[in-house]
Order: sequence, then structure tokens, then C-alpha cells
Amino acid sequence: MLADLHLIAPLTVPGLALGGVYALAATGLVLIYRVSGVLNFAHGAVAMFATFIAYQVSIVEGLPAVAGLVAALVAGALIGFIIEYFTIRPLTGRPALTKVAITIGWLLVLQTGAGLIWGDTNYHLPVEVAPTNGFNIPIVNVIVGFDQLTIFLVAIGLSLGVAAVLKYTTLGASMRAVADDPASARLWGINVNRVTAASWMIGSAMAAVAGVLITPLINFNTYSLTLIVIYAFTPALIGRLISLPWTLVGAIALGLAQQWPTAFTSNGGINEVAAFVLVLIALVVIYRPGVGGARLRLRAA
Amino acid sequence: MISAARLRRSLVLVGIAAAVVLPARLSAFDQDQAALAAITGILVISVVLLSGYVGQISFCQFSFAAIGAFTTGALVDGHGWNFWLAMPVGVVAAAGVGVLVGIPALRLTGLLLAVLTVAVALFFDNFVLATNTWPAFSGGSTQWHPHKPSLLGQQLTGEYSFYLFTLVVLLLVVALVWNLRTGKVGRVLRAVRDSELAAGTMGLNVTAWKLAAFGLSAAIAGLAGCLIAVANESVSAGSFDFLHSVQIIAIATVWGVGSLAAAGLGGIFFVYGPELLSKTPLSAKWFPLLVGAALVVQLVYTPEGIVAKTQADIAHLLHRRTRVPVADTSMVEAA
Amino acid sequence: MALLEITSVSKRFGGVQALEDVTFEVREGEILGLIGPNGAGKTTMFNIVSGVFEADQGHVRFRDQDLRGLRPHRRARMGIARTFQNLQLFQRMTVLENLMVSVDAFARRGLLADALRLPVARFEEKRADERAQSLLYFLGIGHTANTLAGDLPVGLQRRVELGRALALRPTLLLLDEPAAGLDARETVDLASTLRRIRDRFKLTMLLVDHDMALVMRVCEHIYVLDFGRLISEGAPEQIREDATVIRAYLGEAA
Repeated sequence: MLADLHLIAPLTVPGLALGGVYALAATGLVLIYRVSGVLNFAHGAVAMFATFIAYQVSIVEGLPAVAGLVAALVAGALIGFIIEYFTIRPLTGRPALTKVAITIGWLLVLQTGAGLIWGDTNYHLPVEVAPTNGFNIPIVNVIVGFDQLTIFLVAIGLSLGVAAVLKYTTLGASMRAVADDPASARLWGINVNRVTAASWMIGSAMAAVAGVLITPLINFNTYSLTLIVIYAFTPALIGRLISLPWTLVGAIALGLAQQWPTAFTSNGGINEVAAFVLVLIALVVIYRPGVGGARLRLRAA
Repeated sequence: MISAARLRRSLVLVGIAAAVVLPARLSAFDQDQAALAAITGILVISVVLLSGYVGQISFCQFSFAAIGAFTTGALVDGHGWNFWLAMPVGVVAAAGVGVLVGIPALRLTGLLLAVLTVAVALFFDNFVLATNTWPAFSGGSTQWHPHKPSLLGQQLTGEYSFYLFTLVVLLLVVALVWNLRTGKVGRVLRAVRDSELAAGTMGLNVTAWKLAAFGLSAAIAGLAGCLIAVANESVSAGSFDFLHSVQIIAIATVWGVGSLAAAGLGGIFFVYGPELLSKTPLSAKWFPLLVGAALVVQLVYTPEGIVAKTQADIAHLLHRRTRVPVADTSMVEAA
Repeated sequence: MALLEITSVSKRFGGVQALEDVTFEVREGEILGLIGPNGAGKTTMFNIVSGVFEADQGHVRFRDQDLRGLRPHRRARMGIARTFQNLQLFQRMTVLENLMVSVDAFARRGLLADALRLPVARFEEKRADERAQSLLYFLGIGHTANTLAGDLPVGLQRRVELGRALALRPTLLLLDEPAAGLDARETVDLASTLRRIRDRFKLTMLLVDHDMALVMRVCEHIYVLDFGRLISEGAPEQIREDATVIRAYLGEAA
């Protein structure tokens, strides 16, 4: 057992960092779903595209990494706005599946577009927001990189921050009202369009930040980055697309479940198995008949 | 006086005649491409069946195809089986996995099922088909190279004869699905799509029918996979990945998932679209981008898909109300 | 003899007690009414009988068989058909197809017969078509056969729902607010149609409505629900005079 522990301990750090990134992306996904009722299959592609904007600014143009991060944030919000304003809003009143199909279209557009601009297979230099050197935790003898720590703290902080905004601010209250029942929210004088657009912008910006933060941890190209954020669907499902705390738990669980098994196998596909098993558990165990599929109502939080 | 049904029948006959005759004069390369177009048409039909008739969306149609393709590869190349024995095994295996995927789907609807199929697709891409996971199935790093089959003592190695073979298979699948659509089964599936609640209380075992649709759709995709394996005479995981599945949904939706005519056109589009693009200032790489953009624009402007829209326009011109209503054709209006 | 027995049925949704200890029975051949103000639990009762939900407590017996655990399609097979208050037609199918779904529901024919277009498939298809047509004419909506169900006005959609339920050849027909959205003349029409149906198809009906007009006209016996509990029962004339019932309705209006 001790032998296992000494294999697992060093993997826990990247596992938690990965979990933090999933939490961030998944929170954005849940936010968009809660407010607009659209499950955004382009979420990963949006994150990827915005991250490559950061790459362009920081690596290609040579500006500081923080400038790249800000650029990605803005780009993410802008793409989110464009998708919502031009292609989701005109479809008000149409079935949820139509809107999902729209996001599939955007997935192809952004994915292919990024491949054309930045190349679709070659790996790129990461955007390092925090230094990659680190410190040692003595007893377990594990090295923690400052970048990994930053990722974890920023990601968890932002996720909790969004949860707090939803709970305590006027914008958050409006979002919850729209999520519950857009028609009544309108009667209460809430500008549903503006709130929906805001959810897409904030949600997409969160995905963008997640994308930039993860670049030092993975082989970073247009496809791998999109897939990473697609994994964020798993924690979102574990949170039943409504609960932010459970989404957070699911994200950490997924991050660890993808890292730990790599101690025992050289098969790189093992993290796929972890994600797949978690999705199955989420779908089969957590969802009870009659709950899934319908647009889920917010609990009176 | 031309009736809509008669017009349709004439158009179908002319289309088939053209599909048989025209490629005879093409180059060997283009005949190969034509065969791939026909096979892709079969895949589009598997999407039509699942999305257009049952209102489910699947991101793993190419994973089902991969099961057919790799089974064929492993049995024909690895174990020296005859293609005609390997093909049914591949189809049944794909159907079996389709039913397995469908089982959790029974408790889920629309969106959540779609998420599950994404997980299935990525699981196949990066694990099942990875070269070192299960070489007996994936062929390892050398890959499978199954030979083209012979039919009635005739080797189907010539490009044109192989193309005709795929065309016949495509037409058989179209006929089969058309029969289903117009009979009891099609009616039942559309009923399940429109209201599961009512379908259940009207005595239909909603779960069993959804599973059957899943299995059949996977079987058709698996059949396409078997054909892809011998068409290319090689099987590589890269041609069955998640993004391919995304594209096939997009193409099926653009042309209209309710319509079988969309299948043929969708297949041609999928194969020749990139080639046409390479003759323009853009390159073939632009193809998925344009498909995505077309999907977005089309959904905002003509939700029923191009083929259905055109059919409706023709029907309108003929001042006739057709028995196959346009309104039942759109998967995306199905939720 | 009791065709349907409801014994001590209770159902809770979160904090709401939708049904509490409800007991009643439906005798073969009668038209029974279940009335009550909005939110009294009438539709919940229907959902429990038809298998959409299970009761938390209590039993539902149909022809002396406990229905617990049977899914909706099994109950339909046993002879229970229903309509829906918020119409649940197959919207993008024609009216004829809507009925044919029910006519065919128990046919054994499956994928293979249809895919290969076996003679049996063609034969049964023709028979289903004819039976659906004749039902449509019986209900006076033969002209709508080839219209999409979703394109019809509400009054006609309710008739199609009725036809679709009848096409199952049920022994017990549950009608959930069949008069909702109908005007006074259509309601009178519906009352006579319901009686014709009962006489011709020899079936038993359980009718739910919160509007008393139809119920008073066709039902032989009435149960009254309020806040999930049975508060009264009797013949229509008795119910009309019943102080508790009047209070329940006035209470709702106030």
C-alpha cells in the first residue's frame, strides 16, 4: 500500500490542478445551461479558440502572459456574445435540440477555423501565467509547481465567486429568475435578453480562462484543448446541471480519476476510461427516471 | 396533371439511372470516391433513422462504424475469414454495442443522451482503438488491410464494379428504411418522438422501441464501417473519430434528417465537398468550417433542412398537399 | 362488480400532499365523475391509474389484479386507455396516423415484417387504416384524417385524443378534462358523444373535470376531491346540493 501511495501522491497535484480547470469550465457550462436552457457543445471549442488568442498575444506577439489572459477573457466573452446574440436569440421558442444543433455548428466552425489559423496537429508553447518552478511538501515529498497552485486557486476561486454572484447579487437573482421561468421573469421586469447574453459571456469567459490555465499541463494543440474542456461535461452532469457544489466535487473527482491510474499503466487512454466511467455513473446512478431531459428547475437556493 | 408521388418516383428513377451510368466514365480515382460517397450515404441514413425518426442525437455514429470496420479488418486480414462471413459479425457487433449505449439512454432524453454518446465516441477514439489497448481488435501499429471481396465469383477489385456494389447496398438500405418509415414501425417511432408519455399510455413499449431504433441505427452505421474497411483496404482509427461524427450529424441536419433523399446528397457532399474546395482559393481543410457555418445559417433560416424545404416548395408549386408532410422531417424540431 | 378499485391511495410531491388516503371504486359499465377545484389531485389520480406515477401508499386494482409496478404500456394492454388534459397528440403526424398507432399497438408485427414489406404487414396496415377511418367517422371528424394533428383547433384535437384512446379497444376509458377549452355547444355535443360511445363500445368511463357542466350531464355517480381528499360522493342531484362541495368551489373562487 505504501508503495502505491508513493506513486499516487505526486499525481495528486496535477490531478487537483486538472480538477480545478474542469471546475471552472463546468461552472461556465452550467451557468449557460441554467440561464438559457442550452447545453453548449461548443464550450470546448470556445475555450480553445480564446486560448489561442492568448497564445497569439503572449507567445507570437511576445506580450506578458497576463495580457494574453486578459485577451482570452475578452475573446471568450465576445464569442459567447456572438453565439447568443446572432444565433441563439433568433431561435427563441424553438426546441432545445435546435439550439444544441446550433452549438454543433459552432463547434465545427471554431475548431476548423483555429486549425486553419494555428495548425491542427502541431503542439504549441504554453501561456505561463504563473512560474513553473515550485516548492516541496516535506513529509510526502511532493513537489508543487506555482503554476499548478495558481491554477487550482484561481479556478476554485472563480467557481466559488460565480456561485456567490448568483446567490447574492442582483444580476445573480435575475439569472436565477430567468433560469426558473423566463416568462415570469419578463413579467417581473427583468431584461431576459440581457441576462441571457450575460450568462453566455460570463460562462464562455470562464471556459477561456480554464483553457489558458491548462496550457502548461498538457500537450497543447487545437484538438486536445477542445477535448479537455469537453470533459467538463462530466462534472456538470454529476452536478445534475444545477448544483454548483456538486459540479465542483465532480470536477476534482474527475481530475484525480484521470491522473491516479497513470501510475499503473502506460496506456494514455486510461483517463478516457476514468471519464467514461464517471459519465456512466453520473447518468445511470444520479439521474432518476423522469428527472433527466426536461429543462431542470433550480432548487430554491 | 403531375402528382407529387409520381414526380417523386420519376425523380428517384432518374437519380438511380444517373448514379449507375455517370460514374462509368469517371477516372478510377473518382470511382473510388463515388464508392465512398455511397458508403457515407449509408452512414447519413443511420443518422436519419435515429435523429429524424426518433428525435435522438448521437455523437458516436462513427464509433459504431468503427466496430464494423475493425471487426472486418481483424477477421478478414487477421484470421483469413471471408468478407461475407465477417460482415454480418461486424454488423451484429455494432448493433449490440448500439443497444448497450441505448440502455442508459432509456432513462435519459435528448440532451443527456447526446452527452453520453460524446463520452462513447471519445472512449473509442482514445482507448478502445488506441494501438496498444487491444491490438487483436485495433490491428496494432501495422493496422488491418482487408482485401476487397468477390461476389458471385466476380472479384470486386475494379473501381467501377466495387462502386456498383456499394450503390446496390445503399439502395437496399434506403428501401429498407423507407419501408420502415411508411409502415407501422415508422409510425411508432415518430409517435415516441412526438410524445413519449402518450406513446406509453397507448400501449407502446417506449423503451423497447427506442432500443430497437438504436440497435438498427448502429447496425446500419456498422455496415457502412464494414464497407469502408474494404473500400480503403485499410482501417485506421483516425478516420472514425469524434469530429467525423460531428460532421456527419451536421451534414445530415443541413440536408434534412427527415428525408432519405438527403442521404445520397449528403454522402456526395461529404466526399466531394472537400475536393471541390481544393479547386478554389480555399483548401479542403475549410470543409468542416463551411459545414458548420451552413448548419448555423440553415437552422436560423430554414429549420427543416434543404431537401425538405425544396420538396415543400415543389409541393407548393404543384398546389398539392403531400401525404408525407414536411413538418415531420426535422430532427431539430423534435425535442 | 368493481372494475377498478382504488384503496387508500396517497401521493406526495415534495411538500405537497397531492392525494391523501383516497378510496373509491368504478363499477363495470358506469360513467363515473371525479370533480374538484384546480389542484385537487384529479390528474394525479389519473397518472397513478395509468402508470405514469406510482402511488406512495395504497393499491390500485383493475379486474382484481394489483397494478403496482406495471408500466403504462402494460396497463394499456390490460384495457386502460386515457386522454390528457394538456393535449398529448402526436403533433407532427396526421390524425389518421395518430389513431393507427393505437389500433396497431398490440400487433405482433415488428421491424422485419415492415422492413421487408411482407404480405402480413400490408394486410394489417390496410385493416388498421380502415378501422381508424371508421372511428374517425363515428366521431364526426372523418374530414380531418390527413391533417397534421398539431394543426387542428383545440376542440377537434380533443376529439382526436378520444378517438386515439378508443382505438385501443379499452374496457376502461379515463377522460382528463375533455371539456376544457370547449364552448357550451361543443360541451353538449361531447356529452352525447360520450353516451353514444359507452353504448356502442360497452365500456366504463371515469371522467375528470373541474367544470361541473359536463359531469352533471353525463355521470351517474360523482366523487368530489379537494386538496387531495375525497370530501363527498353521490348522484349528480345530491352533489349539486352538497354544502361541502359548494364551499370547496366557492373557496376557490374567493
